[in-house]
Amino acid sequence: MKKKELRKADFITSVLLLLFSGWIIMETLKMPMKDTFGGVQNVWYVSPALFPLIISIFIMVLGAVLLIHSIKTGGAKYFLDNFSVRYKGLSEKNIRFIGILLALFSFVYLNVPRIDFFISVILFLTYFISVFYFDNESLLRKLTLFYFIGSIIFIILFAFGISKFLNSYYQYFTDILALFFYLSYIIYNWINIKSGNIFKKRFIVSLIVSLAVPLILCPTFRYFLLVPLPKEGLIIQIMHNIYYLIK
Amino acid sequence: MFIFEQLFIFFQQIYMLMTNPINVLILFGAVLLGIIFGAMPGLTATLGVALLATLTYGMDTSTSLIALLSIYVGAIYGGSYASILINIPGTAAAAATALDGYPLACQGKAGKALGLTTTASAIGTFIGMLFVITMAPLISAFALNFTSFEFFLLAFFGIIISGTLTSHDLAYKGWIAGFLGLFMACVGRDQLQFYPRFTFGLYELDGGLEVVPVLIGAFGIPQIIQVLKDKVVSREAKRFQRILPEFSEIFRHSKDIIRSSLIGVGIGAIPGIGEDIAGWVSYGAAKNSSKHPERFGKGEVSGVISAETANNSCIGGAMIPLLSLGVPGSPPAAMLLGALMLHGIQPGPMLTFDHPLFIFQVAAILLLASFAMWITGMLLVKQVIKVLRIPPPVFMPIIAVLCIIGSYSLGLRIFNLYLMVPVGILAYFLTEMEYPIAPLVIGVILGPMADANLRRALMVSKGSFLPMFTRPVSLILILVILLMVVSQISWFKILTKRISNKMFSRKVNKDIS
Repeated sequence: MKKKELRKADFITSVLLLLFSGWIIMETLKMPMKDTFGGVQNVWYVSPALFPLIISIFIMVLGAVLLIHSIKTGGAKYFLDNFSVRYKGLSEKNIRFIGILLALFSFVYLNVPRIDFFISVILFLTYFISVFYFDNESLLRKLTLFYFIGSIIFIILFAFGISKFLNSYYQYFTDILALFFYLSYIIYNWINIKSGNIFKKRFIVSLIVSLAVPLILCPTFRYFLLVPLPKEGLIIQIMHNIYYLIK
Repeated sequence: MFIFEQLFIFFQQIYMLMTNPINVLILFGAVLLGIIFGAMPGLTATLGVALLATLTYGMDTSTSLIALLSIYVGAIYGGSYASILINIPGTAAAAATALDGYPLACQGKAGKALGLTTTASAIGTFIGMLFVITMAPLISAFALNFTSFEFFLLAFFGIIISGTLTSHDLAYKGWIAGFLGLFMACVGRDQLQFYPRFTFGLYELDGGLEVVPVLIGAFGIPQIIQVLKDKVVSREAKRFQRILPEFSEIFRHSKDIIRSSLIGVGIGAIPGIGEDIAGWVSYGAAKNSSKHPERFGKGEVSGVISAETANNSCIGGAMIPLLSLGVPGSPPAAMLLGALMLHGIQPGPMLTFDHPLFIFQVAAILLLASFAMWITGMLLVKQVIKVLRIPPPVFMPIIAVLCIIGSYSLGLRIFNLYLMVPVGILAYFLTEMEYPIAPLVIGVILGPMADANLRRALMVSKGSFLPMFTRPVSLILILVILLMVVSQISWFKILTKRISNKMFSRKVNKDIS
């Protein structure tokens, strides 16, 4: 980060820190200082509020010092001068950042708790590897948008209970939908990279890696480390069947 | 007699560890994995220890300790591969190595440079181990006299010193990170009265934030975001024929080795200060003491040796406060502390009573790891450097999956993942704004100790802070903390500058007259 940008960030952070420390103080004041809790008569020095209170005071003081420093070094001025809500478009770096967050958030908060872990991993890896391995801004934008729309559809499915309704007909319906999304991502990807040989090569690498990793990881954790996977659906069930058939 | 007894126990530990073939396999496997982690730019020793901590959770303590210490030793050494061969430090610890290692490789001496780093790293680890075995029990015995006030101040001292020394911008940014870590440690039911603090009514938060997922988030996620966002690319490595141990060259630089080892151990023993700083300080010291400082940066052998000896001896240094006081000396040591806590081992002054052989075991593993590292380095370097060809966009998503499944597998809680991602994103933004992460992590780890000990101490003193100023150790800690805080104030800086200038000019005048 450039010095000016850093000081601007310091200014914003210091304000946030002051607000945050204020919130901690408010919360700690709600804790028992002299009253009884669980039959224990409190005194201030044994109160559960004491330590967070000390921390909040330190954060507040340091936040204030940072604020003064950022004002002195022009961070506040730079922030106020450049304060605008105009939309300037997203730079490649920002799109890359959004792409990373999209992959992480959709994997952790959306797919892992609800979709078969094997499918979640291949979906995550195929998107995450291909989108950055291509190293092409236009593809990055297109594929991120496609994956984002797919994730939104899944959010709707889960939020409105549609997935539960569908799963009542066939217990792995959501997994099949996720597989369908995976296939559609591959097709969409293939259509977009038709012209470039290097992209095709890279896409094949990402497909192989994204399949190989869960193929190694899932049995290792499930049968070797005896860790039940977060969601065991369609593919893990097939894996169980094969494992117990061999055993 | 006592020394012989200690030596006997030490060698007994080595024998016990080595007679189990699985342990030997894990030792070499983890060292190799560590070298790979260290060699690949974007992966760090801390991340390696973090990921392996989750995989070794189900193993017995000695086996998992072998795996964790071996990957730590291997990763610190492995960083030199990328530094020498592609001029990109594999880990921050090997950044100083690149300054002279890469010019050596450009001169067609890559094999020689790798031979030097392999032997120097092994010697560094060995010397670090000697300090662990001699210093840790002494400090543990001394720390038995600590009361609750001292432990509370120790946590503060850890945060302030690591915040001051690891911050690249303003020192108090490091302190802020430390206090944020302490706040994170407050989440959950408090230890004395079980009162829920900052839990927002979520029962998952009642037990507090789990240390290992928080550490994986804090070290892993920012790394993934940075590498993919900033387009870290893989480069073609410099070619070389074969590597030799370079014993004669090492012997010629024995002065550098001793000095660098001492620097490494000393820096490692300071809470939160990692191997990177040890490497730089040692490199600087070697340059200052050299008869030919102008050769540094152009392929000077002592530059490579100094940096590599120091960063590996720092491992032993980092183990000293970890084992004797329960305060991690470096970020990978913080991760190691988290892993030990998972196994029910609480490092600190009581360690020598609860687990009398533990320090010997750690020392024995460090010794074995240094041997394993040397052998692996000498034999497999050509194979290992092939991993440098793997593009970061391919391996970073795999690391993300490993972070996620690893965090989940500890306690089988999806909530750990919900926690890990925001912590990682917070750590990323803090890193971008030049807040160091080490104090934050130390805060998370030492928070419960600081909280409980402060309240316990005040309970004993009936609310009086006076004993804090009457006990010598706590008074020293207070003075050091105050000195570090005051040293950041501008007038103090000006004053010290003036005093040093005056002293310097007097000396010059004397020399002239």
